[in-house]
Amino acid sequence: MKLGRNMVPLALVGLGTSLILLVVVVVVGIAWYSNPPFGLGDAPPQPIAFPHTVHAGAPEQGGQGIQCEFCHRNVTKGAAATVPAVEQCLFCHQQVTGTTETARVEIAKVKASFENNTPIQWERVHRVPDHVRFVHEAHIRFFTEGETPETQLPVSQVCSVCHGDVAGMTVVAPKPGQSLKMGTCLDCHRQNNIPTDCTVCHQ
Amino acid sequence: MATERIDHKWGMVIDVDRCTGCQACVVACQAENNVPMNTPDRFLERRAYEWIRIERYWEGEFPKVKARFIPILCQHCGNAPCEPVCPVYATYHNDQGLNVQVYNRCVGTRYCINNCPYQVRFFNWWEPQWPNTLQNQLNPDVTVRSRGIMEKCTFCIQRLRRAELALERQEGGRINDQNLAERNLAPACVAACPTSALMFGDQNDPNSKIRPYFEDANTHSERERKTRGYRLLEEMGTGANVIYLKKVEQYPLKQGESHG
Repeated sequence: MKLGRNMVPLALVGLGTSLILLVVVVVVGIAWYSNPPFGLGDAPPQPIAFPHTVHAGAPEQGGQGIQCEFCHRNVTKGAAATVPAVEQCLFCHQQVTGTTETARVEIAKVKASFENNTPIQWERVHRVPDHVRFVHEAHIRFFTEGETPETQLPVSQVCSVCHGDVAGMTVVAPKPGQSLKMGTCLDCHRQNNIPTDCTVCHQ
Repeated sequence: MATERIDHKWGMVIDVDRCTGCQACVVACQAENNVPMNTPDRFLERRAYEWIRIERYWEGEFPKVKARFIPILCQHCGNAPCEPVCPVYATYHNDQGLNVQVYNRCVGTRYCINNCPYQVRFFNWWEPQWPNTLQNQLNPDVTVRSRGIMEKCTFCIQRLRRAELALERQEGGRINDQNLAERNLAPACVAACPTSALMFGDQNDPNSKIRPYFEDANTHSERERKTRGYRLLEEMGTGANVIYLKKVEQYPLKQGESHG
């Protein structure tokens, strides 16, 4: 029988095919279950070490207890939450120059940025695709000005629904296990009896 | 706080008699909706993107010649021919009477463009590009459509959403003709029209300017109408949500002067 001679290339083809299939499955799997793709749980390195614990953390834990919307001012007014202008950092940091060596170095960077007129290039942590229009203001208003106790939360609690406990983070990272995919949006919209028409988010 | 959605049915009335063919609507639309720039060769290839376009017709022989203009945009048909042919439901009819194109669902089969009798759908054959001087002009509220997907007039859905948020959710009112005009939330072409040839409103609002035209067009046949309203290709039964008002002919061309 000649079968034996043909078996070797046949096995190689089979091995190769299953290898390619395995790679495809792994790539698709990672892309599907990560958000954003290939970066689940990543905290990007920021140009200045900004500890949210010190600024927004509770006073009992050594923070200043600043509300989210004090710095991210547009969050209760418009679509984007916005990162504050360097000028706004200087409201406090004109006086506050830091107590530890690292703090002094980092705050000096903020001052230098203000004096040189160069904005700080913060790295974005939470991102939805370009074809999605997310309006922060509408979501905050729904959960703060509603009629039931579940929709009368303080602003900082509403933020942490999607962003996690940012006040307890030294480096901002996505909330573990939190997806910013369309299914997550739809689940919440359905639970709260909010329209799920495509044009609500896709414009 | 108002969270429930008010039942709107958007519609547009275009008075052909008032249209001067100035193309302000075309430019406004191009700027508002991130429509890529058209070059002469794009026009020659018949691949220019114009969500609203002015069609020009000449009537009569020189020197007794008349120019006719008619703005044509997506008719947002109630019974749209483009919708049933889409294999991925990227185009569908929403609860506000709009024919919606969902860019992230579209796979670019171009069936809809072939089935649209008005030729108002545009396929992105290329990745859209703008010169550097126009990069900051792009509207952040509107998706930039990438290569390989279909796009068309949305009745400026981003402006309507903004109107809903500001006027209905925040202030608890209701969108009407007046506050749409005051807050500049009507579609860009309507806001730009210098002769008010384009009118936009809610067909369900009893006080809206456009409502009598729609009532008349929906209840009477074309010959029995009291208004000048007609729909484009009405005999096809598309049930368009755009109504045109006939040209008023003050000095009609005499017999033999026109091509007829």
